[in-house]
Amino acid sequence: MMKQKTIQALNEKARAIERLAQGEAKNVEALSGPPAMPQGCTTIFDTGWETNPRPEYPVGNCQPSARDYSGCAGDCWWPAQVPDGLTNQKVFHEDCLVIAKDFRNLKYD
Amino acid sequence: MQAYTWADHRLFPTQEGALLFGVDHASLFALDSRARDTLGRWRSADPLALEDVPEEARGVLEELRDAQVLVPLVPHRRPRPAAVPELDPAGVPLETLVLEVAQTCNLRCSYCYAHGGTYGGTPRLLDPETARRAARTLLERSGDRRGVTLVLFGGEPLLNFPAVRAAVEEAEAAASAAGKELTLSLTTNGTLFTPEILAFLRDHRVLVSVSIDGPPELHDRNRPYSGGGGTYGDVTAGLAALAQWGIPAAARVTLAPRQWDRIPEVFDHLLGLGVREVGIAPASPVTPELLPTADQEEDLLRGFRTLAERFETEARQGRCLPFANLLDLLGRLHAGRAKGAPCGAGYGYLALDADGRYFLCHRLAGEEDFAAGDLETGPDLEKLRSALRAAAAPRRELCAHCWARRLCAGGCHYENHLRENLLGRAPGDSCRFIRPWLELGLRLYARLRAEPENPVMQRIARRQEC
Ligand code: SF4
Ligand code: SF4
Repeated sequence: MMKQKTIQALNEKARAIERLAQGEAKNVEALSGPPAMPQGCTTIFDTGWETNPRPEYPVGNCQPSARDYSGCAGDCWWPAQVPDGLTNQKVFHEDCLVIAKDFRNLKYD
Repeated sequence: MQAYTWADHRLFPTQEGALLFGVDHASLFALDSRARDTLGRWRSADPLALEDVPEEARGVLEELRDAQVLVPLVPHRRPRPAAVPELDPAGVPLETLVLEVAQTCNLRCSYCYAHGGTYGGTPRLLDPETARRAARTLLERSGDRRGVTLVLFGGEPLLNFPAVRAAVEEAEAAASAAGKELTLSLTTNGTLFTPEILAFLRDHRVLVSVSIDGPPELHDRNRPYSGGGGTYGDVTAGLAALAQWGIPAAARVTLAPRQWDRIPEVFDHLLGLGVREVGIAPASPVTPELLPTADQEEDLLRGFRTLAERFETEARQGRCLPFANLLDLLGRLHAGRAKGAPCGAGYGYLALDADGRYFLCHRLAGEEDFAAGDLETGPDLEKLRSALRAAAAPRRELCAHCWARRLCAGGCHYENHLRENLLGRAPGDSCRFIRPWLELGLRLYARLRAEPENPVMQRIARRQEC
């Protein structure tokens, strides 16, 4: 059953935050299929083999990288290569299917 | 078990529930009464573990987590810096250059912050060669910006039409060579148009702002000629000439505190003159007499509130009341743009005076504390840095605790400078006005948002792109 929503996003920023949350939910669903494995290793964008076993974003990345995602999006001090999901490229994972090849599609503006 | 903590947020009660403003993101949500009550009950629980929350409240709290109002508590993460971050002007490309084309004026406005257009010096004109050079510099320093803006300002810029022409032609040539978009704008008192000037403004698509303060008796009291005598007749003739030449004009109104109770009347008068948009600026307190009383501030808010109500009524019919202050605010709220600095002054926005010296912005021209190099040597980064830092310092603590900090970020440097340094007022003197004005905008935005198809909403969405 769909839960009745009690909160409605009004401005664009609020909608972006909401989409971000929905995106995370989608990634959780993605766990039921085989996780997308990273291709290759150890460029600055690629991650290792120990893929993130937790139902958290980013599903399928290695653990150190997964930690970077949750630790460094937002207010972290570390200038990580993580689009912050709000003001940058919200759909970066769609534009960079094979990140080692497509990383130039990332737009940090 | 994941513990959560509350991110800084502000609630504005409404009939249906509440508006929730996420302070750090400038995000805006509507809560129904259930969400509002649940939030009210759990707001003091910090840290909070969702597992411990009874079923009926958990759903709402999960939604608040998705809204990033409830955020994971990370023990070793540095505490979130609450203050507005200090941006470094280094590497910020130049986007807007305001040229003080003529530091002299044929008017003597009672509230003028530029001391009769001179900015405290002797009357002087920008020479056309310097104007050309400045225009080239704007393009050269514009880095990766796709568009740049050249503002022709003064004093009265049309007292120096040769420099206006030189700057515009040079900027156009440089912009087209660089493949960039150029916006030209000119702020004038509207008394000096000639057919030659009008043809030029039309052909070069210069956006014209005419300073006019309302009905004749009010306008003439504020804006007399330097030799005495009212300018209303000539300004309205100027507006008519602009209309005749097909040049759209915006009206720029400046009102002294004792006139703030006449805002709706002034607005209507100007719309009646056929201007495209009306922006209303409270006069800056360049003298103690221009410092408003609490009652006068209330007048200002009341006037703006009346116009906002009319804006809403018109919007429901799909019409847009061209009240520039409100349109700008709604555009910013729509995007939820969190500001790291109150304005562009010093960050991609600079003014150049008639002697070719840079200042943080047009209104700070001539204020030595805000001088930052010259055309010869380029903007002085160290001076920009220290001026911006000094401007922010007195309000840093105050703003760190303010819900509006990402929308306001400290307010206008010039206004603060006058109030704090010249008139000895305590920091935060304008906040009593700033915050209710922002709240007014938030509430109006939320009501309009209920009709996403409304053409006015779409216009607001487009506006923040410009
Ligand atoms: S309203 Fe006042 S305290 Fe709040 S951010 Fe603006 S200047 Fe700072
Ligand atoms: S300091 Fe004030 S006048 Fe100058 S650009 Fe900023 S807001 Fe405008």
